[in-house]
Amino acid sequence: MNRMYSNKLHILIFILPALLLFCAILIAPIGASAYFSLFDWNGFGEKTYIGFSNYKELFTSDAIGFLKALRNSLLLAALSVCLQLPLALALALALGKKIKGERLFLSVYFMPVLISTVVIGQLWLKIYNPTYGVLNVFLRAIGLESWAKIWLGDKATALGAVLVPTLWQYVGYHMLLLYAGVKSVPPELREAAMLDGASDAQVNRYIVLPYIKPIIKISVIFAVTGSLKSFDMIYVLTNGGPLHATEVPSTLMINMLFLRNRYGMGSTIAILLIILCFLFALIISAIFKEED
Amino acid sequence: MKKIIALALVLSMVFALVGCTAGESKKEEDGKTVLTMWCIATESDANRPAYEKAIAEFEKAHPDITIQWEAFENESYKTKIKAAMSDPETLPDIFFTWSGAFLGDFANAGNVYPLDEAYKPFADKLPEVMLSNATYNGKHYAVPLTYNIVGLFANMDLLAQVGWDHVPETYEDLTACCDALLAANIIPFGCAGKENWCVTEYLEPIIEKTIGYEAMTQIMLGKQTWNDPGIQSAVDTFQDMIKKGYFDPAGAALGNDEVKANFLAGQTAFYQNGTWNCGEVNDASFKSAVALFPVMDSSKATYGQVIGGPSDSLAVAASSKNAEIAAQAAFELGQSICHYAYLIGSGLPAWTPDYDTSEVKPLVNDAAAIVAASDGMVLFGDTIMSADPANTYLSYVAQVYGCEIDGAGFIAGLAKDLQ
Repeated sequence: MNRMYSNKLHILIFILPALLLFCAILIAPIGASAYFSLFDWNGFGEKTYIGFSNYKELFTSDAIGFLKALRNSLLLAALSVCLQLPLALALALALGKKIKGERLFLSVYFMPVLISTVVIGQLWLKIYNPTYGVLNVFLRAIGLESWAKIWLGDKATALGAVLVPTLWQYVGYHMLLLYAGVKSVPPELREAAMLDGASDAQVNRYIVLPYIKPIIKISVIFAVTGSLKSFDMIYVLTNGGPLHATEVPSTLMINMLFLRNRYGMGSTIAILLIILCFLFALIISAIFKEED
Repeated sequence: MKKIIALALVLSMVFALVGCTAGESKKEEDGKTVLTMWCIATESDANRPAYEKAIAEFEKAHPDITIQWEAFENESYKTKIKAAMSDPETLPDIFFTWSGAFLGDFANAGNVYPLDEAYKPFADKLPEVMLSNATYNGKHYAVPLTYNIVGLFANMDLLAQVGWDHVPETYEDLTACCDALLAANIIPFGCAGKENWCVTEYLEPIIEKTIGYEAMTQIMLGKQTWNDPGIQSAVDTFQDMIKKGYFDPAGAALGNDEVKANFLAGQTAFYQNGTWNCGEVNDASFKSAVALFPVMDSSKATYGQVIGGPSDSLAVAASSKNAEIAAQAAFELGQSICHYAYLIGSGLPAWTPDYDTSEVKPLVNDAAAIVAASDGMVLFGDTIMSADPANTYLSYVAQVYGCEIDGAGFIAGLAKDLQ
């Protein structure tokens, strides 16, 4: 076996299929996007080389509104870390204590992750419907008529209304990741702490949380990069409207690529998204490393 | 031996991967020519029955040709067809398209098959003027299916409740009617703010009735500046209607289907949209009528000036291996789809009817009469302009509907960004 590992040709042959797949599915499209981002191109006609003009325009043009879209994504990322993950962690810690109906609760909380985003989007469209939506009907029923709004059609409320289901949908996903971590904590550690008189909160604070820190790191990375890439729910609910109030880089990218026929600009946004995702993943890893 | 087996396994995996990408589409089945077609006639589309009948009829008349067709939702189709244009080999033989700049971009890239030769046998049934929106550099590139304009649909039962027995024909009458409707707790208009093209169906007729179709055409084509006081006045008029509460505020969060459903359910008195809705409005449970938006400035515009024209079309991919057959099929299908769409009320005829039209729905006939009497026409703004400026324009239209900018902001912004 050692002889086989020492033979570089064998190693190359064995990793070749995976390498080919990796290059064809990931590296080549990124390379192609980086190349197209340097052109003014409608996607099917003649290309004109314009260097980094697309990048410059993206950060300076008010008409495109990339910075606003990026701000919305970063807000979503911040809310994911500050609201979604603590909620997921609280649920994971609660379920990790072998409560009654643990399996049932796990399934219930995880269910939104399994349902198609389009279906969930349609569901929330109905909830937010200004005329017959559950939310407005409820507000009117309890005498808060003035609170009833055109949630997805009003610039002031649209972003918040879109963020709620986006965050809600993936609470179960992070809960499951963290729950697996909580369950992996050796029982003897918990028992020893309990024997020393530690409360539930202290066990969680001093035993469980440090133990599942690597999983928390992964969850934070997934939450932040997922927020930066968020697309489907927003596309279904508002498609970036009204008046770009809920625009995120991904909806802007689709707009550039397929509505405005600006393939070069769409590729530029794609490249920036990739860079941002890598950058945030590295920053989060560095923060966690520093804490260690 | 183990090494050989391992090597063979690895190579077979590599070949399998390559094989996955190298499949060739099947073009012939049992000696029949198979023509592939993409369109937007989904199950819920008003044109669906017209497509089904036309294709069945075509296949019966041509037993050696099979049409393999797929229908996609309107908005996602725009994405799909543009993505396919970047690799013309993935295009179907025949595809649905909007004429004007939408098709022009594809034709200029050399991805569309010219139809001049195939058109000749059909010239007596399809006036050449109907092909003008799909003619680039002197060549015809698409077969028009239907002809549509923006119509002002009215629920006459609701209007009767406030003392109107006809659709108002002057702006003063229209505002008086809307005020009366509001006083009776009836919402005058519904407009889908989620789809910007629906807002243009309101704004463009007001602009046209203020500055006239000739000036509007020149501006839309980029030959005249947007910085026109007439357009500013038209936008202010539109916003005045919004601020008076003539539009259902809930419309800002709704799509066109929902707004149309509200109108058909009798929740709004008017609905201004394409005449492809004639059939559905005609079949509604209330008495309906179709008219045009009133004249705003009679020194520049007349009542008969309309927004619209032949836009829905079929085109043939230049990459088609059966381009000539597909071109012939596109004309035959186009004529047939036009025929059935006219009968069911999902469009006015771009082709000269050579069949019994006694069963055409009354509202469709009314719309056809408006077109026959029209004395000027401007193609839909987002069709006449190419993709990037069209979307910039739509973005400004959305800002107008959201009252983010007024008429002055609209003309200044478009003059800066588009010219």
